[in-house]
Amino acid sequence: MTARFAIKTHGLIKNYGKVQALRGLDLEVRQGEIFGFLGPNGAGKTTTIRCMLDLIRPNGGTLRVMGYDPQEDPVSVRSLVGYLPGEVSMESNLRVESQYRYLSDLRGNKIDWNFVRELAHRLELDMTLPIKNLSKGNKQKVGVVQALMSRPKLLLMDEPTSGLDPLMQQEVYKLLREAKADGTTTFFSSHIITEVEAIADRVAIIRKGVIVEEAEPSQLLSMEMRRIHVRFKEPVNPSLLDQVDGISLLSQRNGLFVTLQVEGEMDGIIKALAAFPVVDIDVDKPTLEEIFLAYYAADDKETS
Amino acid sequence: MFAEFKHTLRKLRGQIIGWSIGLGLYALMMARLFDSIAEIEGFSELINSYPEDLMAMFGINDMALITTPKGFLDIYYFGYMAIIIGIFAVGVGAGLLVGDEEKGILDLVLSYPVSRVKLFLGRLLGLVTATGMVMILSWLSWVLSSIGTGLDLTLIEFLRPFIPLFAVLLFLGTFTTLLSLFLPSTRVAGMLSGGLLIANFLLIGLSNINENLEAFVKFTPLYYYQGGDAIDNINWEWFVGLLAVTAVFSILALWRFQRREIRVGGEGSWELSSLRLRLRLRQSKEA
Repeated sequence: MTARFAIKTHGLIKNYGKVQALRGLDLEVRQGEIFGFLGPNGAGKTTTIRCMLDLIRPNGGTLRVMGYDPQEDPVSVRSLVGYLPGEVSMESNLRVESQYRYLSDLRGNKIDWNFVRELAHRLELDMTLPIKNLSKGNKQKVGVVQALMSRPKLLLMDEPTSGLDPLMQQEVYKLLREAKADGTTTFFSSHIITEVEAIADRVAIIRKGVIVEEAEPSQLLSMEMRRIHVRFKEPVNPSLLDQVDGISLLSQRNGLFVTLQVEGEMDGIIKALAAFPVVDIDVDKPTLEEIFLAYYAADDKETS
Repeated sequence: MFAEFKHTLRKLRGQIIGWSIGLGLYALMMARLFDSIAEIEGFSELINSYPEDLMAMFGINDMALITTPKGFLDIYYFGYMAIIIGIFAVGVGAGLLVGDEEKGILDLVLSYPVSRVKLFLGRLLGLVTATGMVMILSWLSWVLSSIGTGLDLTLIEFLRPFIPLFAVLLFLGTFTTLLSLFLPSTRVAGMLSGGLLIANFLLIGLSNINENLEAFVKFTPLYYYQGGDAIDNINWEWFVGLLAVTAVFSILALWRFQRREIRVGGEGSWELSSLRLRLRLRQSKEA
């Protein structure tokens, strides 16, 4: 079955008792792209991935993975997917290679062992060691290799570089780019902005179980969001600026130094500042991380 | 399914070997004891001095039988082996699915193209085979240990009591698996199942001295466990009955496993807790 979208959700809802983890999640991941799923802990990233594998069942909405409904046909979905859980847990008494042989058995022994050895070599993973003797970083490598070893059509990775050193992180990014070149779609969750900036073709930001933004990282960066540092000649009341549409006060010192965030056109802020004795203005564009944090700052503001 | 079966057996091999060695050594020791027991001076007098009710509580009606192979095996081995090896069955049953879920392993395994039905059946078959292997190795250890002793039973006579014991162990294993799928942890399921097993053993003993309990114990599994009596003859109706209930437990466990969400830390909940919450909500609405 071929589908235009590797993953498509519409109005996906998942509740844990009274807690609403997903509140109508709409998401479209195209075939062959690397898609970053960005959000803080508890935003619903892992829940979304676990719904895709039928490990947990949504309470509402629709979900298609590679054209299949995971609840109707979980085995077909899983036969196309390589999954890296957020916390890699395996039989601690087994050696790494024995663990891979067991997992290979579950896939009907369709694993290219030369490729497995190549992956292990590139990640500097010793497959003869028992899993219980491995460090957190090495366990993560075991997880990364098992996710990639079947050359899946779709990679679902929950924080793929967690616990890895920067060199190994780069190697994982390289492996993901190579998988993309082979036509693999990658959907990965992360709260590390630089990771998303480094490898994602597109990114979605999830907040409290809904997608608040979905775009290419460069689009997010070029969004009309600016940060303005203003130095006044004499102390002013910065809360007056905070009341202007599209402007939020980020910080201020003695009413003389004020940092503002501006969304949209600059006209409003220029007119607002005209009422004050301004010495200097410095405008810069935020990093993806700052954009990401801005979504949560906006949310906190709404809540309060 | 075969991959899961193979994996389950590999995981249980340490337990299979450990239990078999332990039970084998016990058989070796007890077989040597048999010849000497009747020769112990004053042994008969000592035994006969015990209160009848006390002996009846342990299912011993005629202490003279202790010097016969059947009586000896019944009193010193099969009479309480359902409890001893029951610990193995309860442990394996509790950890069969939920043990891996608690460790987070099931999260990974179920991301592979294996259906929950096949995973369940593979593991259940692993439990049945592992239990069967412990039974066969224990039987062999008795056969070998009895060589050169007065335990002059045939291979079949030695084998027969292991068959009802096997059925009871499967009953316990699947019952504990079923409990583990409803209760919050393997530990709780294991403790509850083990506690019920011990309570059942004591209740059977008490029913031997209190006839009023007879009707009640008929609803418990150990009532249908023959112990050493099976050396002469297996009660096939009881055996099939125990297996039938085992099959029902297995079907219920499979049903539950298919519908269940795979929990990881912080997710999911104990069904009884949510039931309590629902009751509380209903009560507050009514109020």
